[in-house]
Amino acid sequence: MKSLLKHLSPFAPDQSGAVSALFEFGGLIVICDAGGCTGNICGFDEPRWFTRPGAVFSAGLRDMDAILGRDDKLVAKLQAAMQDSDLAFSAIVGTPVPAIIATDFQALKRMAEKRTGRPAITVATTGTHHYDRGASAAWVELFRTFATERVPVEPGTVGVLGASPLDFSCVNAGTHLSRALEKEGWRTVRCYGMGAGLDSVRTASAAERNIVVSPAGLAAAKHLEKTFGTPYEVRCPWIPARTLDALPRIAGSNVLIVHQQFAANALRECILSIHPGARVTVASWFLMEPEFMREGDFPIPSEEAFVEAVESGGYDAIVCDERLRTALPRSMRDGIFDFPHFAVSGRLIEEV
Amino acid sequence: MNRAYSITAAELAGRGVNDIPPELLSSANLVYSSPATLAFNSPGAQGFGVKRAGLAVPGSVMLLVAPACCGRNIAALGCEASLAERFFYLMQDDTDIVTGRHLARIPEAVKEVCESCEVKPSAVMICITCVDALLGTDMERVCRKAADYAGVPVVPCYMYALTREGRLPPMASVRRSVYSLLEPRKKNPAAVNILGFFSPLRDNCELYALLQSAGVRAVREISRCRTFEEYQMMAEANFNLVLNQEARYAAADLEKRLGIPSIELVRLHGTDRIANQYKLLGRAVGAVFDDSEPRRQAEAAVEAFRAKHGRRTFAVGEWLNADPFELALALVRYGFAVSEIFGTVGGANFVYVKRLAELSPDTRIHSNLSPTMMYYRGRDAACDVVLGRDAMYYHPDRPGVPWNDERQPFGHAGVRALFEALSAALDGKEAAR
Repeated sequence: MKSLLKHLSPFAPDQSGAVSALFEFGGLIVICDAGGCTGNICGFDEPRWFTRPGAVFSAGLRDMDAILGRDDKLVAKLQAAMQDSDLAFSAIVGTPVPAIIATDFQALKRMAEKRTGRPAITVATTGTHHYDRGASAAWVELFRTFATERVPVEPGTVGVLGASPLDFSCVNAGTHLSRALEKEGWRTVRCYGMGAGLDSVRTASAAERNIVVSPAGLAAAKHLEKTFGTPYEVRCPWIPARTLDALPRIAGSNVLIVHQQFAANALRECILSIHPGARVTVASWFLMEPEFMREGDFPIPSEEAFVEAVESGGYDAIVCDERLRTALPRSMRDGIFDFPHFAVSGRLIEEV
Repeated sequence: MNRAYSITAAELAGRGVNDIPPELLSSANLVYSSPATLAFNSPGAQGFGVKRAGLAVPGSVMLLVAPACCGRNIAALGCEASLAERFFYLMQDDTDIVTGRHLARIPEAVKEVCESCEVKPSAVMICITCVDALLGTDMERVCRKAADYAGVPVVPCYMYALTREGRLPPMASVRRSVYSLLEPRKKNPAAVNILGFFSPLRDNCELYALLQSAGVRAVREISRCRTFEEYQMMAEANFNLVLNQEARYAAADLEKRLGIPSIELVRLHGTDRIANQYKLLGRAVGAVFDDSEPRRQAEAAVEAFRAKHGRRTFAVGEWLNADPFELALALVRYGFAVSEIFGTVGGANFVYVKRLAELSPDTRIHSNLSPTMMYYRGRDAACDVVLGRDAMYYHPDRPGVPWNDERQPFGHAGVRALFEALSAALDGKEAAR
């Protein structure tokens, strides 16, 4: 059955992606839930929570709130929490509950802005999609709300879009990405959401170029290109060293990479530089942008489809999060190289 | 709102249970889900939430029928508890959560799950979430249909976070679910069940010996049942001992279905109170319990701690195996000070607040869930020893005991173990200095 997971556990959902994107910007984030979704996000999907807990709250919805659609009560709670604080904005993130009762997020946004006197962002996530969809929507809303002013372009300044611990399995990914771009000659690197804060978002038009490191950042890059004419390129300048170190050990010429598309594409180039004749296919459980797919690349719609693809693909090596090993029959578990993906396994790597 | 709200025990008691300040009521505010609160703010986040609790039935597996977001943290639970192989997921999409069309897939999914298991499960527990609460799903009916189709008992577990403060909160409901497979059986006057927890009492708890002294030969807990057959033996009990009020509903259901009456005990930390409770239990079952030796050992542990470490000042949290207000009161009655409590005040524990107000009126009470806890800074707190994982989060620099082991402390043995653990923590901290 397509929607049945028998060996894997669910991947990071859209609401986790939205919170991850917004986490470092100094706003008050309200997850529009009864408590469980917030527990999953703060307790699992946001590894920065344990070292830098911020203003992330549950709306604490109860059955009658949902049945009666008490948006005014939610906004009153939000106003109380914002009062006397120096929080720059509020963000309301959706879950299955508002999806079922058809909450009007635009109305919530207006109500929140009116009551708090500060900008509000709403992300109508439903909990049924993957993290990258939620992150993508949150990035776009963030830039739409705050990057409204055109400032002079600063030569040597580059923006990084789409970085999060969910994508890179590392709470220091921003530092790694920045270092890699500085080595290329960029003087100022703004890794949004992982180092660069709200002031950088406000002056996003100062970037000479944006680098999109995951599909979650693509819509925001397109928005910034349309609004300010900032060009963007899709590439991932940093791959964890432990994954790169394993590549020379890959034997055979038919390789499958399973990860977020842009990181997987970057790794494909690394493999091809070591094994020039190899056939390297990229697959992903998450967003696959057709313009960045090569022939043979494919999306993975289900656990069942993943097993079938591996069975029929005849791969000599699979580079993926090790957690995916459990989905495969024992006879197919050899030749797997670990490429951690927090959104899949919830595993972090430590890279200094 | 840029400092953490708190109120003294005297002020709170003076207002009364019907005038608890809104700052202490989670329903009146956004809920702060700090690392201190994750275990209990979410019915499935950590520890024994509905998902893990539902698997208390030996040999069972769980099918979570929900959007992906609801099952995300199971990866963590599974790793910790080697439970991963017992969890399965039927994912709901956008159309499912609006139309309920996923219900038609459940019987087939149950069958596929059973077929994929090396050993046929004893039961399939179906965990459903806020989605089906709002859709008004009749999951009992769906489970009956799935059971007929797959040839295995199928039981609903309601992880309805939306009803957490309602008449039947998720953790009370799941206790009923895990005992619902018990079938009528001839009564055994020498058998007793202990209800309330999903892990056993500590082996040295005197309750076992006291029951044996009254002629009880089989004391059963669900977490000690290794097989489904052992679990079924729980149906022969003469009575149930309820050690956690969240098991009241399950006990009432067992009384109605199987005719097993129940007696409720409270987890207490004052040895005099514990002794009195055993006396009352003895009267109820027609026995005289001699708890003098475990009581002496508990009081000796308290005295040894006091002699070595003096009159310490405690901070008491609620992420621990105790009611924080009852525990704080017991500490005060033992002669210690309690500077602050992180807890949820309600009708059930307000009696302890009133007594604390008499003995320790300046003890400050915080709500872990208050959004103002974002501003809490523990540096200036007067406590020099900390109890509870949440309190330890607030005071990482003070010696403390999390006191939230899965093995459940109870009675005199619990008090003794607590003070031994406190001594070890303080000895360790002081040795480290």
